[in-house]
Amino acid sequence: MSLPTSILNKRIPITRQTLIFMMLKKYSLLFLSLLLATACLEESTTAIDEQAFTKIFDNDQFDGSYYPIDMRETSDGGYLILGGRSLDDTNFSGIYILKADRYGNFEKELEVPADYVNPIGQLIPSAGTLKFFCMDPLTLQTFIATVDEQAENVSMEPLSVSLSYPAAAAPDGNNVILLSYNDLDKQSVISLMSPSGNVTASKGYTIGAGDAVEEPIINHFLRTGKQFPFLVGRIPGGLYYFNGFYNYTFSLAFTNLTQDTPNGVVQGQQDDGGFSAAVPISGSTFAASTFNFGDNSLLPTVILNTSGVTSSVDLDGNHFPELELNATVRIIRTTLNGKNVVVYGSNTKSKQIGLYFYDEATGKFLGSEYVGYSNPFEIASLIQTTTGDLAICGTTYMAGRLPRFCLIKLSKRSLKGI
Amino acid sequence: MKRFYLLALCLLISLTSYSQVKRKKSPAFNTQGKQKNTFLEKQWWLGFKGGINFTGAVVEKSYAVISPTNFSVSQTKKTYDNYAAVGSQATVEVTFYFKGFNFSLQPTYRHSVFSYTTHAAWHEDNVPMLELNYHQDQQLDYAEFPFLIKYDIMQSKLRPYVQVGAYYTILLNANKSVELSGVDYASGAENEFTEPDIIVGADDIFAKYSWGLMAGAGVNYHVGNIRLNLDLAYRKGMSLANATEKRYSNDRLTGAGDVMDDIKLNNFSISIGCLFPLRFLTSGFQSLDRP
Repeated sequence: MSLPTSILNKRIPITRQTLIFMMLKKYSLLFLSLLLATACLEESTTAIDEQAFTKIFDNDQFDGSYYPIDMRETSDGGYLILGGRSLDDTNFSGIYILKADRYGNFEKELEVPADYVNPIGQLIPSAGTLKFFCMDPLTLQTFIATVDEQAENVSMEPLSVSLSYPAAAAPDGNNVILLSYNDLDKQSVISLMSPSGNVTASKGYTIGAGDAVEEPIINHFLRTGKQFPFLVGRIPGGLYYFNGFYNYTFSLAFTNLTQDTPNGVVQGQQDDGGFSAAVPISGSTFAASTFNFGDNSLLPTVILNTSGVTSSVDLDGNHFPELELNATVRIIRTTLNGKNVVVYGSNTKSKQIGLYFYDEATGKFLGSEYVGYSNPFEIASLIQTTTGDLAICGTTYMAGRLPRFCLIKLSKRSLKGI
Repeated sequence: MKRFYLLALCLLISLTSYSQVKRKKSPAFNTQGKQKNTFLEKQWWLGFKGGINFTGAVVEKSYAVISPTNFSVSQTKKTYDNYAAVGSQATVEVTFYFKGFNFSLQPTYRHSVFSYTTHAAWHEDNVPMLELNYHQDQQLDYAEFPFLIKYDIMQSKLRPYVQVGAYYTILLNANKSVELSGVDYASGAENEFTEPDIIVGADDIFAKYSWGLMAGAGVNYHVGNIRLNLDLAYRKGMSLANATEKRYSNDRLTGAGDVMDDIKLNNFSISIGCLFPLRFLTSGFQSLDRP
């Protein structure tokens, strides 16, 4: 059947839309190819600059020596780093504070006069400021320092009671817990106070009699000997704990701050073994790490006996021969790729910073990541940023010899495989 | 906006070439001469050429691992040695000639090299104690796909031409080496030292894809049935040659204080080669018989 000639000869008017459609159809393959080609081009944005970076904060002074202690993300997306610096006339460390912007670029530094020494972490957020502890080098009295997020000013307040040699601090709700060392009574002292330094509870526990026990502690504070992983904290709603010397041994001790002896003690091996880090997960379950005569073990889910006396040597963990002797370990609890993850950060024998990821619920190893190369890198602090990325603060040695702060940020996208 | 430019340019080129193709209507071959003339208005050429190239980097935005606390950021900036190192390229050329114009697709393997230096120094009481000099070499291998429109200025045996076009590149391989040397004054004397180079595969820190514009000139010389070709081309990079998301991904480099700036690469190349005609009217045909 054929159409009538009148219909076949009829000219169908082509509208503009029809023409455009015909053109698009004709060149659709070309358009598609060009779109694909342009989609693959690199673009530089501030958002990308913020996601990941490596920064080394250099000072042109050959004799300048800096080591970071703790880091916090500030409300403007930047970073405030608390550190120590070498002083000319004392073995105690001076106080150095550095502020970096959200891209990791240096913004400001504060060198606190040598009237105050021995800064210790954590940096504790309080009413838009950050608190940390330090001490007077002459009287050894502990001060609570307040620094604004922009590192413009730092102010010092002595604690309401006499506490010497601050060793570790941690927040406890609106309060602050402090571990200090009383060199007169030879006690590890755990105290609870307000952010203004008003001590509300305090309890001391003997380190044991004799100078031999005290010597490594003093050498720690003077930074002339082994650096001990002093720490303090509280099981949420439960007992307080400190990682310090008790009864001749570096121990993780649990206390309710009222009893004269700790409720429970997990002993190390004098000053040769014990916990290098511990973070409560739930109840008496911890993510922890131990050291023992140089060896290191990571224990992503370990149930600790918070009453009675046990030994850290008896705890089963993942042995990590790649870590340096008695390695510094940092542990944080994070959420990565929708999973609750425990992240360990530590120093390897190859002078890199190793990150080890474990499933928080099962303790299953999820993966590892190594940062830092060419020059030595050492970890000081590990945080998860508000954007879900990981930020690591540490020390690197420029030209293999000049200690400087480094700040490394890993984007959560780069950790997709975890 | 840059993507729009690329789209517009490519569209223009493709429309131009398409419009040329559309006009090819079968002429009425009334005579032998007319047939030959019409036949010689078009020609396909296939050729090979190779040569050397020189690369320069244009910094869009500077980046540095070193963030100075007590000296100027400008001291961390890189000094580029533009167009100093010699690269090489090899090209297959397919050209369609039509009435003085040549529409040419030239798939190219291009090896480009560029370098920069950085310097660091530390002192004590204004006395220099340590100086470090870093020399970073980048070696990039690209598969390049240029599309060029050439115009023959003269219709003679020696036939100069000018050309414009655009190219798209795919990164095949990238290597980077960092050479460290310095002077250590702290040891008691001027102790000059050189450390072993850090050599790394650097595919991750360079853009996998990029594009640019090309312009140049050259000359074809007819010898028998073939064309000998001397070609000069300048490439202006229009997109970033570095990767942005993985800028800091290489720990060996960042650990040594090195990170790539946002750069676009310009390139100047000199090639020589020969082209062969693909269409013959008779066995005794000379490609120079007609333009």
